[in-house]
Amino acid sequence: MNLAQSQQANRRVAHIVIYVFLFVCALLVIAPFVWMVSISFDRMANIQVPFPPSFIPDLFSIFNYELVFENGRIFRAYLNSGLVTFGSVILQVSAALLGGYAFSKGRFKGKKLLFLVVLATMMVPIEARLIPLYSMFNRVGLLDTFWPVILPSILYGLGVFLTKQFFDQIPDSLREAASIDGASEFRTFFQVYAPLAGPITATLIILSFMGNWNEFVWPLVVLNSEQLQTIPLFLASFSLENGTALAGMTMALATISVVPIIIVFVCLQRYIIQSIALSGLKE
Amino acid sequence: MKAKMGESVQLQTRRNKAAKSTLTWYLFLLPTLLGIACFILYPVFESFRLSFYRSNGTIETWIGLGNYQRVLGSSAFWNAVYNTFYIAFFQLLLAIPAGFVLASMINRIKRFQSMFKVLFFLPNVTSIVAAAMIFMFVLQPEVGLINHFLDLLGLPTSPWLSDPSTSKAGVILLAVWHWLGFVIIICLANLQAISPELYEAAEIDGASSLQQWLFITIPNMAGTFAFLFIMGWISGLQRFQEVFVLGGPGGSPSRSMQTVVALIYERGFGGFEFGIASAITVLLFLIILAFTVLNLKLTRLKL
Repeated sequence: MNLAQSQQANRRVAHIVIYVFLFVCALLVIAPFVWMVSISFDRMANIQVPFPPSFIPDLFSIFNYELVFENGRIFRAYLNSGLVTFGSVILQVSAALLGGYAFSKGRFKGKKLLFLVVLATMMVPIEARLIPLYSMFNRVGLLDTFWPVILPSILYGLGVFLTKQFFDQIPDSLREAASIDGASEFRTFFQVYAPLAGPITATLIILSFMGNWNEFVWPLVVLNSEQLQTIPLFLASFSLENGTALAGMTMALATISVVPIIIVFVCLQRYIIQSIALSGLKE
Repeated sequence: MKAKMGESVQLQTRRNKAAKSTLTWYLFLLPTLLGIACFILYPVFESFRLSFYRSNGTIETWIGLGNYQRVLGSSAFWNAVYNTFYIAFFQLLLAIPAGFVLASMINRIKRFQSMFKVLFFLPNVTSIVAAAMIFMFVLQPEVGLINHFLDLLGLPTSPWLSDPSTSKAGVILLAVWHWLGFVIIICLANLQAISPELYEAAEIDGASSLQQWLFITIPNMAGTFAFLFIMGWISGLQRFQEVFVLGGPGGSPSRSMQTVVALIYERGFGGFEFGIASAITVLLFLIILAFTVLNLKLTRLKL
């Protein structure tokens, strides 16, 4: 065996080691999900957590799901999450497209400073604003409605940033042509640039959807009625009430709540991963 | 003379046009500007103002630095700061190197790349509330998944969340599990951006794969590590959801996992001590601001 051959053999062994290692790690990462599904389909799981842990239910049944759906609150929570997410996504995406376009193509006073301010807003977490925002919505009588959850979405710093980056890559010659034809800035935006913005719009919808669907802290503060609970709030309250009792129902709920996001993610994962990597400021 | 007048009229209309176009652009920005004014500027200033008052939301009394004195003198605050930093520190210490090693491996293989990406990234898209719910069972001392595994491997088990001395370790495990995929994705994106010529040159010089990884890959990833480090700190300092699900606003057992945000929530919406909660908010905000400045310096964000 000569040197080149032995090197090749070494490389092959290294590759196999890498595959095995990655595979084991991936199994460890998804084990909690598999276990969750298994418990959710185990008939006895509300009396005791199946032990030793197994990844296949001992007594397969959809009993736990029947219990969850009988309760009915899950439907309401789904509807609430849907409404809040829909409203927030619409606001976020339209505001981001308009804003990003202005920062990319506009020539106006204070542009640079304003853009810096928009970027800086990304660093001010909702936690640092909870109390004044709560008092503000309290004063105008909007607490315990969906408005305080939806309205703040109008500011979407990351979206504005990504949209600006996107429009920067589209040449200005289109604008010049449109302006020679006498089109206003708004017409130019809606008829020339917006139709080209499909990819970035899709990215923003995905990111905004996931963010709003999973949002917890702010809705927890402003939504007090049980019938207004979104999915994460409902899960948290169920979990706080029951602890590790009712394992079967808890895991069925968790499974139901995770399924839509996993479907969306698996279907769109290429774009999601791309946009996350991009928004992660690739050097 | 006539020519001069014509010039000045032209200048005038040009100026009007510029003003009109500025106005148009501000209309484009109207939603964003409204958002900044109502949901950032106002609340930040209001937090600052409230932190000097004793307030329950309706009655306000000026007490100057009294809230800060009480907060900085209370053990609950320092306990929350300690917990927050402790959990964030170990989350970063474990997740960044592990994520980088896994990303390097995924980057080297040809087949199943996207499958591994999806599998590792899955926890990150799951809501942290659902993840915490699952981990309540995964970390359960008697029948939980992790202790059972440890037992099978002959390793010592842990009481995890049911004991104040180990509960933070449980939260760290959950945090690493949830964040690992994000680290991997960011690392992968930047690994692929390193110029292949660097590796070709090293190959010609006879450098082994390990040497290439040590002396080319790692130095080229310095910016990425800084980015992840700061991002991780900023989100780690805001930790609340998982400790709220696992231990309520008090972070039980015995406040061992109460974070700063949980303390704000407890004071503000449990006890309606808005002044105290605002003072804690301002302190948290200052810490985050310091890290953000560092962030901009280190990653040299391009505008």
